[in-house]
Amino acid sequence: MTTAAPLPAARPRALTFGNVWLSLALLAVMLAYPFVFGKALNFGVSTLIFAGLAMSWNILGGWAGQTSLGHAALLGVGAYTMTLLATPERVPAFLGGPLAPWWGTLIGMVLAVLLAAVWGGLTFRLRGSYFTLSTIAVALVIRLVAINSEWTGGAEGLFMPELPTLFGLDLFDRKVEYGLAFAFVTLTLLVTHLIRRSRLGYALQAVREDEDGARALGIDPARMKLVAFMLSAALTALGGSLYAIYLQAFEPHTLLELPISVQIALMAVIGGRTSIQGPMIGAILLATFGEVFRTVFSSANLLIYGVLILVVTLFAPNGIMGLFTRGGRRLGTAR
Amino acid sequence: MDQASLTALLQTLAQGLLTGGLYALIGTGLSLIFGVMRVINFAHGDFLAIGMFITLALFRSFNLDPYLSLLVAAPAGFALGFVIQRFVLARLGDRLGEGSMLATLGIGLIVSNTLLLTFGAQPQNINVPYATNTFQLGGVQISIPLLIAGLGTVTAIVGLNLLLYRTELGRAIRATAQNPLGAELQGVKTTQIQAIVFGLGVAFAAIAGVLLMPLLYAFPTVGENYTTKAFIVTVLGGLGNLPGAVVGGLVLGVIESLGAFYVSNNYRDAYGLVAFLLVLLLRPEGLFGRTVKRV
Repeated sequence: MTTAAPLPAARPRALTFGNVWLSLALLAVMLAYPFVFGKALNFGVSTLIFAGLAMSWNILGGWAGQTSLGHAALLGVGAYTMTLLATPERVPAFLGGPLAPWWGTLIGMVLAVLLAAVWGGLTFRLRGSYFTLSTIAVALVIRLVAINSEWTGGAEGLFMPELPTLFGLDLFDRKVEYGLAFAFVTLTLLVTHLIRRSRLGYALQAVREDEDGARALGIDPARMKLVAFMLSAALTALGGSLYAIYLQAFEPHTLLELPISVQIALMAVIGGRTSIQGPMIGAILLATFGEVFRTVFSSANLLIYGVLILVVTLFAPNGIMGLFTRGGRRLGTAR
Repeated sequence: MDQASLTALLQTLAQGLLTGGLYALIGTGLSLIFGVMRVINFAHGDFLAIGMFITLALFRSFNLDPYLSLLVAAPAGFALGFVIQRFVLARLGDRLGEGSMLATLGIGLIVSNTLLLTFGAQPQNINVPYATNTFQLGGVQISIPLLIAGLGTVTAIVGLNLLLYRTELGRAIRATAQNPLGAELQGVKTTQIQAIVFGLGVAFAAIAGVLLMPLLYAFPTVGENYTTKAFIVTVLGGLGNLPGAVVGGLVLGVIESLGAFYVSNNYRDAYGLVAFLLVLLLRPEGLFGRTVKRV
C-alpha cells in the first residue's frame, strides 16, 4: 500500500478569521461598557472576572475535555495567597513584611500551578468521571483546611488590608478594578487563541476526541492534560486574586464551595466548550440572567442555571456557540 | 484498655455503623443507577433533600409521624426518577456519559432552588417526642431514630436484593446492566427498565431523607453534603457494585466516627474524602476489586 488515503477537504478558513474578529468585537463591547453603564460597574467587574475564569476553566474542561468541578480550590489559592501575604498580621515572619498584591498574586499563581501539577499528576491516570470525582474531593479537602485553620481566618474568612497603589491607581476604585478585569479577560482570550493554533491545542483536541487514537499518534495524553491543567490553574488563581480585591472581604463559603466550581464550569459549558468565545458568552449570559433572577427571586438565582443547563444539554450539546458554528459549517459545505 | 475507653470505643463504633448504614442506603441508590446506566447522578443528595422536605411538610400540615411519610416519599421519589430518566436522560442518547453529568447537575440546581423558593433557607426540624430517646446496651447508648434508620436501611437493601435476584423484573434489570443491546434483543424493554432503575435510585435517596429527618435539620442545600457522601461510598465499594456500596457505607461511617472521636471533630468530613482520594488513586475499581459480584 503506497497510495495514501485522500486528505479530507480543508475546513473553510473564514471561520477562524471570524473567530478573531468576534473576539475583538466582544472586547470592544466590554471596553465601551463602563462609559455606557457607569452606574453598574459592580456587575461589570464580577461578570468580566467570571468570563475570564470560565475561559481559564475551558483550557482544561473544553480543549482537553477534562471536566473539573474543583476549580474553586484554585480560585481560593489565588485569593487567599494574595490576601494573606498582603496582611501585616498574617504574613509569615520570614518574609519580613507584607507583600504588594501583584507579588502575592504571582506567588498564588505559582502555588496553584504546583497544586495542579501534583493533583493532575496523580489523577490523570483516571479517566472521565473518575477525574471529575477526584476534583470535587480535592476542592472539599482544601475548603475544610481553610475553614479549620486559624491562619486563614477560619469560617469568618479574611478582610482585605490596605493595599499599595498600582502606578498611583487605587485598587479599590471600581474603575481600576474594571480595567484589571478587562486585562484579565484579554489575557485569557489571548492564551486560548494562541493555544488553539499551537501544537498543544491540536494535541489537546485529539486527546479530547479519542485518547487512545491520540496516543497512537505519539501524543502523551497525561502530559498534555497536565500542561492544560497547569495553564488553567495559573489563570484561575490570577482571577482569584482579582476577585478577592473586588470582594474586599471573603470567607470559605463565597470562594471554596462546590457551587462556585459548578458555576464556572456551567458558564463554559452553556456557552460552548469547544469554541473560544463560548465560555465568555456563557458567563455574560448567565451573569445577566442570574442578576435578573436575583432581583425577582432573591436567593434562588441559581434556578436559571439549572433550567438553562438542561435545555442546553438536551438541545444544543455544543453550547450556544455550537449553534452558530454548526450553521457556519453548513454554509461552508453548501458552496 | 480500661473499661471506660473500651465503652467509648464501642460507642463510637456503634454510632459509626448506624450512620454508615444510612450512607450505604444513599450509596446503593447511586450505585444502582451507575451500574445499570453508567450515569453519575449529581442530584442524588437533592433527591434526599426532597425526602426530608416531604416529611417536614406532612408533619407541619397533618402532624403525620415522620416514618409514615415513607409511604408518600418513596413512591414520589420513584415517580420523579422515572420521569427524569424517561423524559430527560434517555434523550441524551450516545452523549449519555458527559451529558448526564451536566444534566443531573442542572436537575440538582432546579430541585434545591425550588426547595429554597418553597421553604426558605432557614434550617428547620421537627419535634417528635422520641427524637432524643436513647437505648442502652451494655453501657453503649444508641439513639432511637438512628436505630430505626438502621433497621429501615437493612429492610430497603434486603428488599432491593429480593427484587433483583428473585423476580422477573430483577432479571431484566440485571440483563440491562450487563448488556443493554443483548437484553433488548431478548425482548427486554430497556428504556422502561432504565426508567424503573432511576426511579428506584431516587426512591432510595428519598427514603434516606425521611429516615434522616428526625435526626437533622432540613435546609434546601442539605443534599450537597450527601451527594459527596454517596460518591465516597460508591467509589470505596467500586462504582456500580451493590454489595460494595453497603460495605463502603459502613466503612465511611466508621472512619468518620473514629476520626472525629480520636483525632478531631472539625475534620470529620475530611477523613472520608481522604479515604476516597486514596481509593480513587490506588484502586479505582474500589476496595473490593472484582472479587465481589456486580449487579
